[in-house]
Parts: sequence; structure tokens; C-alpha cells
Amino acid sequence: MSEELPPPRIVLVGNPNVGKSVLFNVLTGSYTTVSNYPGTSVEISKGRCRIDGRNYEVLDTPGMYSLMPITDEERVARQILLQGQPDVLLHVVDARNIERMLPMTLQMIEAGLPLILVVNILDEAERIGMKFDLPRLQQNLGIPVVGTVIKRRQGLEELHQAIAAYQGPTTAVGPYASDLEADIERLSGLLTADYSLGTRSTAILMMQKDVEVEELVRAEEGEGFAQIAPVLHAIKFARRADLNLQISLERKRLTREMLTGVLQQDENERPMFAEHLSRWAMNPISGVPLLLLVLYFGLYQFVGNFGAGTLVDFLEGSLFGKYINPAVVGFFNDLTDIYWLRELLVGEYGLWTLGFRYAIALILPIVGTFFLVFSVLEDTGYFPRLAMLVDRLFKKIGLSGRAVIPMVLGFGCDTMATMVTRTLESRRERVIATILLALAIPCSAQLGVILGLLSTVPGALSVWLLSILGIFLFIGYLSAKVMPGENPVFYMEIPPMRLPQLRNVLVKTLTRMQSYFLEILPLFLIASVILWAGKMSGVLDLVVKAFTPVVTSIGLPSEATAAFIFGFFRRDFGAAGLYDLQTAGLLSPVQLTVAAVTLTLFVPCIAQFMMMKKERGLKVAAAIFVFVSVQAFATGWALNQLLLVTGVLS
Amino acid sequence: MICGYCSKEIPDKVGLNSCGGCGSHCRKIHCPYCGYANPAPGKFLGRLLQPKSKKEES
Repeated sequence: MSEELPPPRIVLVGNPNVGKSVLFNVLTGSYTTVSNYPGTSVEISKGRCRIDGRNYEVLDTPGMYSLMPITDEERVARQILLQGQPDVLLHVVDARNIERMLPMTLQMIEAGLPLILVVNILDEAERIGMKFDLPRLQQNLGIPVVGTVIKRRQGLEELHQAIAAYQGPTTAVGPYASDLEADIERLSGLLTADYSLGTRSTAILMMQKDVEVEELVRAEEGEGFAQIAPVLHAIKFARRADLNLQISLERKRLTREMLTGVLQQDENERPMFAEHLSRWAMNPISGVPLLLLVLYFGLYQFVGNFGAGTLVDFLEGSLFGKYINPAVVGFFNDLTDIYWLRELLVGEYGLWTLGFRYAIALILPIVGTFFLVFSVLEDTGYFPRLAMLVDRLFKKIGLSGRAVIPMVLGFGCDTMATMVTRTLESRRERVIATILLALAIPCSAQLGVILGLLSTVPGALSVWLLSILGIFLFIGYLSAKVMPGENPVFYMEIPPMRLPQLRNVLVKTLTRMQSYFLEILPLFLIASVILWAGKMSGVLDLVVKAFTPVVTSIGLPSEATAAFIFGFFRRDFGAAGLYDLQTAGLLSPVQLTVAAVTLTLFVPCIAQFMMMKKERGLKVAAAIFVFVSVQAFATGWALNQLLLVTGVLS
Repeated sequence: MICGYCSKEIPDKVGLNSCGGCGSHCRKIHCPYCGYANPAPGKFLGRLLQPKSKKEES
């Protein structure tokens, strides 16, 4: 009995959402199975097809962005490339984004994989004016290239022919910069085993600190790894700052070379405005004015004036003040004569009069408008451009454009943003970002209340903005000096700029509002109960008395003490306290401005402190807490003196 | 889900564990590629958020 050879294997790879699964279904029809990849929960589809009289096994891999895996899905996809012994690898790319996807093609050619490039969704690309010379691309890359519109089965016959006629991998594409090539050759020359990705690609992945590949090499080379390790270590150390950036830039350069004469853009169809806007947003000369416009219309006008002004006036002043509150207070007063119970429910710090009212009438409209602006900006793709814009400035304070993520998220909620600082590369960056978040990044509700209140006093908002920005840069600069270290290198692939989709914006805004509200409401209620208990037991009076000299030393009335105590529970709770002070007419313009600056800089709330402790440890968190408290009142005192002496805002 | 910052596709199974699993059920999905905190809508809102193209292709 003769043993039948397994059929040749076709493996589909590519980014998510490029039509891989559609191609898989078209190739295999209904004869498919879906199973988990061994040892994982990642699903792999397998099927069979017949091309030119020959049977093939077809595998659909999970989406991947490069041969350096980050997610389990990418790890499985790479594992299939490494161990699955594909006879033909179909790299499916979206024609509209070919420039972003071709670097992975180059990476796979470099690895000596048996590649056919499938340029899919050609119809959509042509609709936006992109014209391709695919034979020329085939010539440039040295691998078969097929253009398709898989969902309409266009190009399928050509793809079948390319698979049937496939003869094996070709040589690697052009060299990188000479210094990089020298390091790659030095390392790859030491590799003696047979690697599925070839020695060159294996060496590059090791240089890029791919732990799995390094372990593989350690196992394959055995005792010989002792010679490789010092060379690898020396290269990694010498290139610790910018290796990934350099490789990325080299692959982009090669991609541009490959696409020279291949891709033409119809001038009439070119999405000119989006491209121009994208460049303007990243160029410092146009980017800064654009940022100021975004801040003025997005934050000042919409969140500050409309959200914290019009909406809060309506909800707090009219709806709650005139109708809901009197009814609720009257109801509970009729319901019970028990003093402490009345106080708990509808008293000065009552669950309804403080907790619910702050959460629903004050905070919700402000964070709602803020999250709406935030979601619109997010959906346009503005944030990555902002990261590129501020990268140079952030380098002066020991950060990089990467820190834009926690900083931007901090305007939503500093607690969550503190957690996100873990994505920064060095400990130095993480500590500096944590300090700045605790000190000078107001959360959305705090920002909205402050914008709303200060916009009613001419000049106050400018003083507040200059103070906070000055402290942010000054403390950041000092922190970078106190904690010396290398400047982080930042680069990222900039996604296309796009028109925000109404559905996306609404869903994201509503989700954020729901999440925020569910988070703050119980905390506000707990804070109300604590304050009520403090009032009933007399402890609150003692705390207020102890804290009052500090508050009055910066020129504020003793009544402002409560807002600072509120602020420790939650930043937004403190901001709401400031709103009550102002609406009660207790603050002069100078006092309002000093209070706003001090409250913005004031200690992080309990939740943020706990997150700081979790992320940075108790010592660092406690040190930041003390520093931020002292810094806030020192700044408040200095600002009060300055405003009184100069007569500004008086 | 597409990350709102880097525009990369976040695998469905990444879910709430990718951020390090604080267990707070904070309704945020941290992108494994860039760390950005994306809002994680509930079932109803999630269905609305799913792009048309993905529904068709999948």
C-alpha cells in the first residue's frame, strides 16, 4: 500500500479586514473546518481546494500587522508561518492602504517565505483615484502580484494561475543602510542552524528584542549561542534608542522605492483636504494654531460655555433648583422628623442634595459634552497627529509623543490615565508622566466646571491657563533634570485622517458617559455619607478648622475649605464644590482664579492615589502626593500675591 | 473593534484582559498595540459600533 503525500499547503496572511476570510471562503467553498490552534483559544480555519487539477490544503490565519507578534492572534499567525511549512503564502493587502501594508510584504520576502501578493479591494481604490501598475510592482518585488476584488471574484482566475505556476521564493529585497546591514550580517553570520525565517530575518528579529525568536536560536544553536550572545547584546545596547525606528524607516524607504511608478493618484479624485489637514496638524507652524482652535471651540465654547454654562444652568438652576429639589426635599421633610435622617437624605451633605445633584445636574452634562468633543477628535484620527506635534516639546520634559495617550486620556479621567502610563517605555517616563497627571492635568468634569466659571470673568481663564501650562512645563523640565536619562525615541504609523462617523461618535460618547456615571455615582454617594457622618460627629468641623488656615493663607474664604476636602474624594467632586461657592457669590475674581488654579493642581483624588500606589509603589506615590499638595498651595499663594500686587483681575 | 488611536484592529478575545486585568470592569479595552483605552460598549451599543464592512466581510 503506497503512502499518499499530503497536499501542498496554501496559507493566507495579512492585516485584519483586508478580505482574507472572503478569499478563504471563495477558495475553499463549504469544505472547511474551524478549530482552536493547539494550546490557544485562537481559531484557525482550514479547508481544501482544487486548482489546475491539483488538491491544496488552505489555512486562514488571524490578522497580523508584522512578523513581530503582540497579540495571541499574531503569535499564532507567525507560528503557522514558522512551523506550518506553507508551500504558497498569499499575502492579502488592501489596495487603498498598500503603502502601510507593503512593509510586511518586504518582511516576508526578507524571510524567504514563498509569497504571492494579492492586492485586494482594487475597485474601492480605483474609486478614490488610485491607479496601479501591478506588473511593474511584480517586477520590483520579484514575486507574483495579483490584483483582485475578491467579493466579486474578480482576479480569481489569475490568482489560481499564479498559485498553480508558483515556483518558490525569490531573493530578498534591497539592502538597508550600510551600518544596519553590517550589524545584521555580523549577527546572521553566526547563525548556523536552519531557520524557517532564514538567518537574516531571524537576526533582525533578535535585534528587535523578539524573546521567542531569541529562545528558538538559543535552543537551536546549543553551545554555539555563547558566541552569539555577546554580539547580540552589544548590538542591542548600541542601538537601544532607535533600532525599531531605523528598521521601520528603512522599510518605508524600500516601500516607496517599490511603489515608484506603480501607484498613481488621479489629481481630480485625490482626497486633498484630508491629506492637507493631516500635514497641517503635525507641522508646528500650522499645528499649534490648529490645536488652539480645537481647544477654543471644542473645550472653551462647547464644554465650558455650552456644557458647564447653558446645560448646567438649565439642569442645576432650573430643573433641579426650581422643580426637582424643592419637591424631593419637601417629600423627605414630610416623611420624617428625624433630624439625622433628614440630613442624610436632603441635608447640606445629603445623598440627594449633594451626591445625586452633583452627579446628575453638574457633572454629567459637563462630561457628556467633553466626551462628545473627545470622541469626534478621536474618530478623525487627530490624536496621533497631536502626538507627533508635541513630541519635540515633550522631549524637553523627559517624555515623548507616546505620552500623549495618557495625557489625553487624563483629561477624561486621571486615574485611568495613570494606569496607561505603563505603556511608556522607561521608568523615568512613567514617573514623570504620573507626576504631571497628578499635578497639572484636570479631569473632564473639573476642566468643564473651571472653564464654565472662569469664562464669566474677563482674563481669569488666561491666568488659569498660563499658570497650569507654566507649572506643567516647569515641573516636567525639573523632573527631567532631576531624573536624568536618555530621551525616548517616538515613532508611530499615522493612520489616515477621516471624517468622524456619527454612529461611532454617538456610541463612544454614550459608552463613556455610562461608564463614567456608573463609576462616579456610588463614589459621590459614599463621599456624601462620609461628609454627613463627619458633620454629625463634629469631625468635619475639626478637619475644616485644621485646614482653614492653609486655605485662607492663599487668600480664600474659610468656606472654600470644604471644596478642597471634597476634591480629595474626587477631583470632579471638588470642582462641583467650587461651582457652589461661586454661585453663592462667595468668591471675588481673584479668589475664584486662585481657587481654580489651586484646586486643579491640588492632590490627586483617592482613586488616582491608589492607582499611583499600584503602578509606581507606595514610596513614589506618597512622595508625589506630598509634592503635589505643597506645590498646589505654593502656587496658589504666589498667584494670589501676584494678582493682588499687580491688580490684575481686581 | 478598531482602536480609536492607532486604528489597528483589536482582536475580539483581547477583551478586558489586555490592560493587565485590574478586574474593575471599567468598560474599557486597552489596545494591545498602543495602550490606548477604548470605550467597550455593551451588547446593544457594540452592535451599532461594529463597522458595516466588517459585518459583510465576516
